[in-house]
Amino acid sequence: MTTPYSCRALYVHVPFCRTLCGYCDFYSEVLRTEAVGPLVDALLRELDGYAARRTLAFDTIYVGGGTPTVLPPGQLGRLLGGVRAYADAGEQLEFTVEANPATVTDEVAGVLAGAGVNRVSLGAQSFEPAELRVLERRHRPEQVGETVAICQRFGIQRISLDLIFGIPGQTLASWRRSLEAALALRPEHVSTYGLTYEAETPLRRQRDAGVVTPVDPDLEADMYELALDMMPAAGLAHYEVSNFARAGAECRHNLRYWHNEPYVGLGPAAAGFVDEVRYKNVADTAAYVQAIAAGRSPWGEHEQLPPERRARETAMLELRLASGIDRGRFTERYGVDPTRLFAEAVERHGAAGLLSVDADGIRLTRAGFLVADTVIADFL
Amino acid sequence: MDQNLIRNFSIIAHIDHGKSTLADRLLQISGAVAERDLKEQILDDMDLERERGITIKASAVTLDMVVDGQTYMFNLIDTPGHVDFHYEVDRALAACDGALLVVDATQGVQAQTVANAFAAANNNLEIIPVINKIDLPGATPEDAALEVEHVLGISADNVQFVSAKTGLGVADLIQAIAKCLPPPKGDPAAPLQALIFDSEYNDYRGVICYLRVMNGTIRKGQKVLLMGRQRTHLVTELGKFRPQMAPCPQLAAGETGYLVASIKSLHDVTVGDTVTDAANPATQPLPGYQPPQHMVFCDFYPSSGETYDALREALERLSLNDASFSFIPQHSDALGPGFRCGFLGLLHMDIVQERLERECGVSVVQTAPSVTYEVVLHDGTTKRVESAGDLPDMGTIAELREPIVEVQIITPADAIGSIMQLAEQRRGEFKKQEYLSATRVMLTYEFPFNEILYDFYDKLKSVTRGYGTMDYHVTGYRAGDLVKLDILVNAIPVDALSLICHRSKAEARGRRFLIKLRRQIDRHQFEIALQAAIGSKVIARETIKPFRKNVTAKCYGGDVTRKRKLLEKQKEGKKRMKTIGRVDIPQKAFMTVLEPED
Repeated sequence: MTTPYSCRALYVHVPFCRTLCGYCDFYSEVLRTEAVGPLVDALLRELDGYAARRTLAFDTIYVGGGTPTVLPPGQLGRLLGGVRAYADAGEQLEFTVEANPATVTDEVAGVLAGAGVNRVSLGAQSFEPAELRVLERRHRPEQVGETVAICQRFGIQRISLDLIFGIPGQTLASWRRSLEAALALRPEHVSTYGLTYEAETPLRRQRDAGVVTPVDPDLEADMYELALDMMPAAGLAHYEVSNFARAGAECRHNLRYWHNEPYVGLGPAAAGFVDEVRYKNVADTAAYVQAIAAGRSPWGEHEQLPPERRARETAMLELRLASGIDRGRFTERYGVDPTRLFAEAVERHGAAGLLSVDADGIRLTRAGFLVADTVIADFL
Repeated sequence: MDQNLIRNFSIIAHIDHGKSTLADRLLQISGAVAERDLKEQILDDMDLERERGITIKASAVTLDMVVDGQTYMFNLIDTPGHVDFHYEVDRALAACDGALLVVDATQGVQAQTVANAFAAANNNLEIIPVINKIDLPGATPEDAALEVEHVLGISADNVQFVSAKTGLGVADLIQAIAKCLPPPKGDPAAPLQALIFDSEYNDYRGVICYLRVMNGTIRKGQKVLLMGRQRTHLVTELGKFRPQMAPCPQLAAGETGYLVASIKSLHDVTVGDTVTDAANPATQPLPGYQPPQHMVFCDFYPSSGETYDALREALERLSLNDASFSFIPQHSDALGPGFRCGFLGLLHMDIVQERLERECGVSVVQTAPSVTYEVVLHDGTTKRVESAGDLPDMGTIAELREPIVEVQIITPADAIGSIMQLAEQRRGEFKKQEYLSATRVMLTYEFPFNEILYDFYDKLKSVTRGYGTMDYHVTGYRAGDLVKLDILVNAIPVDALSLICHRSKAEARGRRFLIKLRRQIDRHQFEIALQAAIGSKVIARETIKPFRKNVTAKCYGGDVTRKRKLLEKQKEGKKRMKTIGRVDIPQKAFMTVLEPED
């Protein structure tokens, strides 16, 4: 009953890693090979369920985790092939898989390329061995370049690198070295994330116990600004709070999130937005597999926002983008010009130089990006 | 009942010396409580009491005890052990003829042993020293007995050595109670005079008065007069605690029990009042008590999610069974409407706050406690002030007086130096030093009450490796070079944070306080100046730098709901703060003054 447009994006969550990192709070568990087969079955069956009730024609597919590339190559191929079957044949597909350096062997790269994957997002995080240790990442810095080379050798040209700043012990100089090392690999896309001490992570407990000391917030601001300066200078424009890309190389899949558009989410703990309903699957692989096998919904929670809150949510998301809130499109979607709906916040933060407003849109300024949460909270 | 077979007595002791265990042992031996019902420490019937190991409200229990073939009536009147509750100890002792002074054989005489022994002596009670815990490996019963004789001047001839826990020596103690403590005096045929020594509130029966009949006889159905209040009541029930309430038709001179007379509120009864016959009143009331003095004040404000009305109802409900704290409406510029509450001491304050939360389910924001100051104005009038925020304009004040306490400290002799140092920091004035034994000393000091209010006891415990004990009582007021220290946030004075302190300490105090406050307030988009000032003179300043970055540079994948909720939570948290000027101050900051001084 839905137009094909409603489900153009697919996210698949693979909840397995070789080892778990202390800072990460995405749902994942240590890989158990015997659990992979049933999981892949369940993922594909969940997808069939969505397909049974609407036309699916994905033009962006994003397989994340976890670390999808730790799956046994056979199962990885079965999963990727299975989801690829629902891609829109007429469109240019963006098919991304997340990977960690040193998990992409020739065999794995062959499977990725064979399934049509054309973009790999690599969790480089840092090029400093000491910082990688703090993050409990198991790879060596040089393995990032090696992995990039393997992907490219198999024809996967679109490479994105994730970097983390604000790591305990990190300095502005070491951050600069990581940024430079990343740029030297000539990725088309870089994400720079500020380390967050998420509740109930080992890293948070270490901080609370005084074992690790967070970097000074002013230094963190300097680090963020350094990325804002260096990336565009290297040809990667700042297009979202944490994201930089060459022209035309923005992550189309993530843009769907930021424009508050629908997408199907598959797998344990995956979030989705289908038929105006936001849902999140249970964060438990066994429970998820069981629910799917029994024909039950794997949703753990879901919500449907009333129109005004949905409009506010769109503003929250689009303000993260350099393009900001598109006034024409927003008015079309919600029947109200955002400068009217958010008159007070626009006025206040505009006067403070944190927002710029023109006929097309409402955007954060550079100063605004640094305090984006403060500004955006006033749009909710 | 033959008056000669009645013994009214209290057990008095330093905290944890075994008072409640001994009471339980006596109850058990008398058969008032079956072995299987013997919960530890029966007389402590509030959960809080049992948890904290302290007795908050006095209890009274009547025991039938057979000694040498004769059945005696023992009326055991329990007393609170903590220094805050001296006034309750005093009223309980007035209902007694004798006292058991319990001393831990491993610890000897402690500060509250001394205070309690003096209180008993002031009430002309016969005292039996009881050295307890003689079964413990570290016990030195003879030394403890010598200390009692030496420090308190109570003859060691009478000393009883017991282990309340095992029952060892308790039979001899019971003999001694019967033989050495005096029976009550008083004429059962004289006009009725009965002392109300405690009261409690019961949801079904209203107020229950604890009574000691001094002269005459009180009967069920009698119309009685409360001489202080000049109000008459009809006695609907009389009885004794065994330990459950056991009604009886009358109570005669020398007996102890309870009275129920359809009294609706604890505030209609003054503890210490005299009950007499309405038709044939006694000519004189019994010497009454001083009403309890509130020594410590603080404000309670409804915390987020609570309303003023809910807090008021909770305080009213609590005051039904604790008449010893007061509350009056109060308004703070920073915290809005709330209540100014008066307490007997800091522990009492903690207990009331905890009961509000536990029994009434109301959480409060509590301001730092303050003592009561006396202000003499230039026009000659004197007024009392319970918080720095209430001080009149400093220009109108001729003199500011602070309460002074006399403090007794008992300590191992090797800690004297450290204590003297501590006392000096707290403006203590040395009075005297007495050796209890070769290794233990009793020091007497005078302190401004304010100086020992926060953490003095903790500090004392720390410099004496846990062995030091203290007791204090207020002796009066004295003029001091006191100043009002204002705290300003971005130039706006915050009444709930101001405090009174000695001029010599104002600067250091202000500086330390601002450092602590700085840690409580998050960075804002603009710079925040914190200042401490005396009058218009700023004596300390701290700056909170503006934040440069507040952005969640993190990938939440497609979990938009989570992202939104995080921002909403951040916004919600802001609502719960008190905004002064444009500065959001978390409620916790108002408690910062309470934190121990480093």
